[in-house]
Amino acid sequence: MLDVGSRGLASESGSATAIDLAHRQRLPRKRRGWSLRYRHRIQLWGFGFVLPTLLFLAVFKYGPMLWAIDLSFHAYDIVSPPRYVGLENYRLLLADPIFRETLINTLFYIAGSTLLITVVGLALALAINTGVPGSRSCMTIMFLTNLMPILAVCLVWRFLLHPYGLVNQVLEPFGIGRINWLTNDSTALPAIIIVTVWRFAPYFMVVFLAALLALPADYYEAAELEGAGALRRFWHITLPLLSPTIFFVVVVSALLSARIFLMPYIMTGGGPGNATRVLPMLIYETAFSYMKMGMAAAISVVLFAIMLVFTALQMRFFLRREQVNS
Amino acid sequence: MDSKSDKSGSQNTRREFVRDIGAAGLLVAAATGAPTVFAQGKAPISLSFWTFENPQQRPWLHKRVKQYTDRNPHVKVDFQWFAMGDLSKKVSVGYATGTAPDGFVSQDWVMPVWMSKNLLAPLDVSRLGYANYNAFVDDFAPAFVAGATQGGKVYGYPLWFYAFSNYINTNHFKEAGLDPVKNAPKTWDEFGEVAKRLTRKEGGKFTRQGFKFSMIAPVWTMLQYNPILLMSGGKWFDDAGKCTVNNVAGVKAMTLRASMVRQYGTEDPTDTIATAPLPGMDWLKERCSMFWSHPLPLVAIKSQNEKMAAEGYFKPIQYPGIGSTKGFSTSYGFNLVINAQVSQAKQEALHDLYKFIMSDPLDAWADTQPFPLARKSGWADNPAVKTFPHVDEILGARDRGVYLPRTVVYNELSDAMHRAVQKVLLNNGDIQQTLNEAAAEVDRASAALKKA
Repeated sequence: MLDVGSRGLASESGSATAIDLAHRQRLPRKRRGWSLRYRHRIQLWGFGFVLPTLLFLAVFKYGPMLWAIDLSFHAYDIVSPPRYVGLENYRLLLADPIFRETLINTLFYIAGSTLLITVVGLALALAINTGVPGSRSCMTIMFLTNLMPILAVCLVWRFLLHPYGLVNQVLEPFGIGRINWLTNDSTALPAIIIVTVWRFAPYFMVVFLAALLALPADYYEAAELEGAGALRRFWHITLPLLSPTIFFVVVVSALLSARIFLMPYIMTGGGPGNATRVLPMLIYETAFSYMKMGMAAAISVVLFAIMLVFTALQMRFFLRREQVNS
Repeated sequence: MDSKSDKSGSQNTRREFVRDIGAAGLLVAAATGAPTVFAQGKAPISLSFWTFENPQQRPWLHKRVKQYTDRNPHVKVDFQWFAMGDLSKKVSVGYATGTAPDGFVSQDWVMPVWMSKNLLAPLDVSRLGYANYNAFVDDFAPAFVAGATQGGKVYGYPLWFYAFSNYINTNHFKEAGLDPVKNAPKTWDEFGEVAKRLTRKEGGKFTRQGFKFSMIAPVWTMLQYNPILLMSGGKWFDDAGKCTVNNVAGVKAMTLRASMVRQYGTEDPTDTIATAPLPGMDWLKERCSMFWSHPLPLVAIKSQNEKMAAEGYFKPIQYPGIGSTKGFSTSYGFNLVINAQVSQAKQEALHDLYKFIMSDPLDAWADTQPFPLARKSGWADNPAVKTFPHVDEILGARDRGVYLPRTVVYNELSDAMHRAVQKVLLNNGDIQQTLNEAAAEVDRASAALKKA
């Protein structure tokens, strides 16, 4: 223990570094006050280094978020100053059938794409993890879907899903008649979900694969010795151990799905009718086509609230499951 | 006195001689060097200018802007262009984010939206070369310029102004045993029957559509549906501002709009909307026999179908009438406008730029034919215009045409009608119910706007 006098520095700070102590040891006794200021200066420097990031977040992330919430209580047409209207924007939204339809579309899209991305991503990862020759190459090829520009993806799929497109031609020999994938209100949104899964499932496959490779092999060896089959091993070992990863994938893919814009915008323009219009599209149209910024802000707050509730429920569900498992 | 006077006269003469030489030098300098000095002395100014994409109109505008900046080196113009359907949305985003262009080309149907929000600067017509307001207004079709003026002020400098025609493939007519002149459909019934005879199918699949509408974007839906509604006796709004697309006449109009699919079976809307090529591409490629289109430039036809352009087996004709109403189409046009939020110096520079752009209407016609200019003076009587193929039909359609509804809820109206047309044609929606929904949507938008 260093002798630093009756008011030991280590005990004051509780976590003095060796450099600090060595520095202070060299100081004459009368300059202990300066050493305290020195500690504050170190802290200030640390704060100074973090400050730009904090400012960046405040100005570019949380500031606009708070402003959007505030704007949702105003009527604002871009030109005239915002006028406080209380909950009027929310009341109008609830009375608007287009908003209700769009909300249902969005929830359907989030649920469908999240579920399928998770299931397909996990299935692909399990298939790759079996180590079948060529599986790694397949993984690389599948991952390429993530590298394609979204615009190209949308345009290619629009042609593939055309009434006389390749998908229908492939299905024709199986006796499946012409499906108007993007022009029928009952198939348009599922078609967009399929394209979303095609694009994003390989990305989450890599996440699942990384988690699978990190699972301890001895659990499986012990289970095999006990005579557990592949399905039981998957159900009782793989799935519980993967639950943090599944949680991550579900939350992230749901958040990604909630922000979908370009796919329906390019592939269907929100149609036919209102069948594929999702909340981000409605926000864009309301704000920039109809110049109703306050209303658009209210829609974005609703979308934010949905995602907040969804994430909170997910966390609650998974954390409870973790506690039960532990 | 005389000698003195002579002397002084002689001295004055010498002085005058020297003075004259100096003055002449100054005059020469003023006549030659001064403008350059003046131009160089002007403060540099940067302008942003947006327009819509079109293979002829956009390059011509670009050319004129470049010619202007070459002559006025202190002026820089950032020239940008967007798809026709996107332009007004981009400008809206620009206004919302403070990045709107200093000047832009505005479609006439969105002028009320800009003007109602005071987003456009009033134009000084004397700076555009007109003696006064009346001289300006008299130089354009009254109904068109009405959409660019408000309260005795001018907010748009009309650029092009034209209408749709029914473009027919005369070879297809002959193949089907029809005479392109005698059998040119004049009523809706004739139109449906002719389209049906022109249609070709193989195994339930269209190999040629007799007639097809464009479903690419709300703007096309409105341009094509507008005359059907008006010829059916309908109106977009009643006098109280209530949307009336769902009244009896409105239902009749939508029934006629849907009849090409439901009654005559001349088109496949699922193919039309899913392919989304340039509107009219199927007609240019002869996969469709009749198509309602704006004036089609020969170069555009040539770029897609050299044979059709060379042999000229196409013809624009008048729209079919409905009931006792003679056929007419939608007339529309474009204005050069100035952002009200830009500085006075920029506004003045834009006036000069616009005046220069429009100073040579024959050059505009040469580069952008067959798109007629909105102005009356300086071009229409020229032989180059008068001898242009089908020019009478193009100008006649323009003069007979009706305007898109000029309303501050135009975007809401066009989106609602686009959705309604899709529901009726793609999902076999009930016409009355679908139109009720569309009208309610527009009324909600109008009510919200009034309240705001």
